[in-house]
Amino acid sequence: MADEALFQFLHNEVIQYVYKSAENGEMENGRCVSKLEHLGFRVGQGLIERFTKDTSRFKDELDVMKFICKDYWTSVFKKQIDNLRTNHQGIYVLQDNKFRLLTQLSSGKQYLEHAPKYLAFACGLVRGGLSNLGVRSIVTAEVSVMPACDIRIMIKQVN
Amino acid sequence: MTVHNLYIFDRNGTCLHYSEWNRKKQAGISKEEEFKLMYGMLFSIRSFVSKMSPLDMKDGFVAYQTSRYKLHYYETPTGMKIIMNTDLGVPSCRDVLHQIYSTLYVEYIVRNPLCVLGEPLQSELFTSRLDSFVRALPFFSVRAA
Repeated sequence: MADEALFQFLHNEVIQYVYKSAENGEMENGRCVSKLEHLGFRVGQGLIERFTKDTSRFKDELDVMKFICKDYWTSVFKKQIDNLRTNHQGIYVLQDNKFRLLTQLSSGKQYLEHAPKYLAFACGLVRGGLSNLGVRSIVTAEVSVMPACDIRIMIKQVN
Repeated sequence: MTVHNLYIFDRNGTCLHYSEWNRKKQAGISKEEEFKLMYGMLFSIRSFVSKMSPLDMKDGFVAYQTSRYKLHYYETPTGMKIIMNTDLGVPSCRDVLHQIYSTLYVEYIVRNPLCVLGEPLQSELFTSRLDSFVRALPFFSVRAA
């Protein structure tokens, strides 16, 4: 895997580009975040194919989640998710105490309002990965104290 | 053995950061004027040193010393200038200043997309890490010798 600084710089420029072109077209903030999330979705779909080409099928949803927390996160961000919580009814919360894209921003409350922009792509990555594993979901992220962040996954139950 | 203060300038002369730990006497002029004076002095000294050098120049201007303090200077290839005033007991500081640049500036400012390069540094993370780095230096002690 190439040095993470390369990806970080590119990611930062993508975010700046999306926001600049939004300013000219007068879109609201929400559209930019969902644009970034869609970018991440497509990337996640491709990445998960690549990472799982040699692994066996997953037994159940919890197994899929554990794969995301350990192997997928390690391959993308070089560390594992620190904490996984679930209510066993389709809601999972992944806690990363030192999210790699936020460590350089601040450690605390400064720049907090800008944090969601940097998490949108990662949320898309998770949603794309899950979708190609057969799990439809909605992924959101919350940050209260940087660089820790919570990623919340809501599985759409198939009846 | 102590560190008095630290300045960081970019290649256009804007003072990006200034912090002090142990300064007993102020310059008597406003901060902007002090920064301009410091930058102007460095610019002149650097060209003077290279012109008057009797040998081929390797690093150029590195430090100056008075009877009370020593000023250390480090310039990066990108034009960032880091200046540290310490007291006389401190040997050459070039690698310390280089470390400040590579492990603090590059890490927390260049890689922070919300920090605009060329403007005074706002990141609190950078300020706190710089402060703890300087306080952890072997030649730093709170009371001047």
